[in-house]
Amino acid sequence: MVKTKISKSGEITAYSEVAFRNNNALIEFCRTSACALSGCTAGIMGLTGLQGFAFYFCAVLGLWCLLLLKAGPSWEKYFVNRIHLLTNGFFGGLFTYVLFWTFLFGMVHVY
Amino acid sequence: MSRNLYRNLTILGLLSLFHTAYSAAKHRSYLRLKEQENGTLPLDIILQAVISLIIAMIGIVNTSGEFKEISATKNLERKSWETLRNVPSFYVFNHRGKALSPFYEGGISN
Repeated sequence: MVKTKISKSGEITAYSEVAFRNNNALIEFCRTSACALSGCTAGIMGLTGLQGFAFYFCAVLGLWCLLLLKAGPSWEKYFVNRIHLLTNGFFGGLFTYVLFWTFLFGMVHVY
Repeated sequence: MSRNLYRNLTILGLLSLFHTAYSAAKHRSYLRLKEQENGTLPLDIILQAVISLIIAMIGIVNTSGEFKEISATKNLERKSWETLRNVPSFYVFNHRGKALSPFYEGGISN
């Protein structure tokens, strides 16, 4: 139920695992939805090749900003690490993104 | 109240995205009729796509729920010692305290 982490100064911090898991599930939900939505948008705009991947990177950065805005100035209360919020599930989200991107591109621009 | 607002914002963004897809498909068929296949989308469709994406993302991030504080002591702060050591499995009702009851019948008769 309790996780601990030793900080650089040698101090031990205890985290509640239930809250931890709740936050992770929430972030996972936001990430999946954002990937699907940005994939749809990229398909509609007809992005091809590297442009689409650059758009994915922008969308992930935007999602990161939105999550930090939601957490507010005291983000330490909710997450251990701010950078992990950006990098966790980056490639997993990429697959969702490519799926929706190609689907919408085919629906709008090919047929 | 504000959660309802964000849900409406999500729905608005999704509808706007759908409308953008429809406009883009229409524009594509218009280009096909004019027989110029390599035209790009007009700026207003692209702007609408990006703006509706932002709106839908704001809506989804804010409807998904609240973050919980991950500090382990946060949950215990509001509980008293009596709550913590209260274990219902160890309740005992069959003890000698029942002899003090005025309706007790199983004891030695006086």
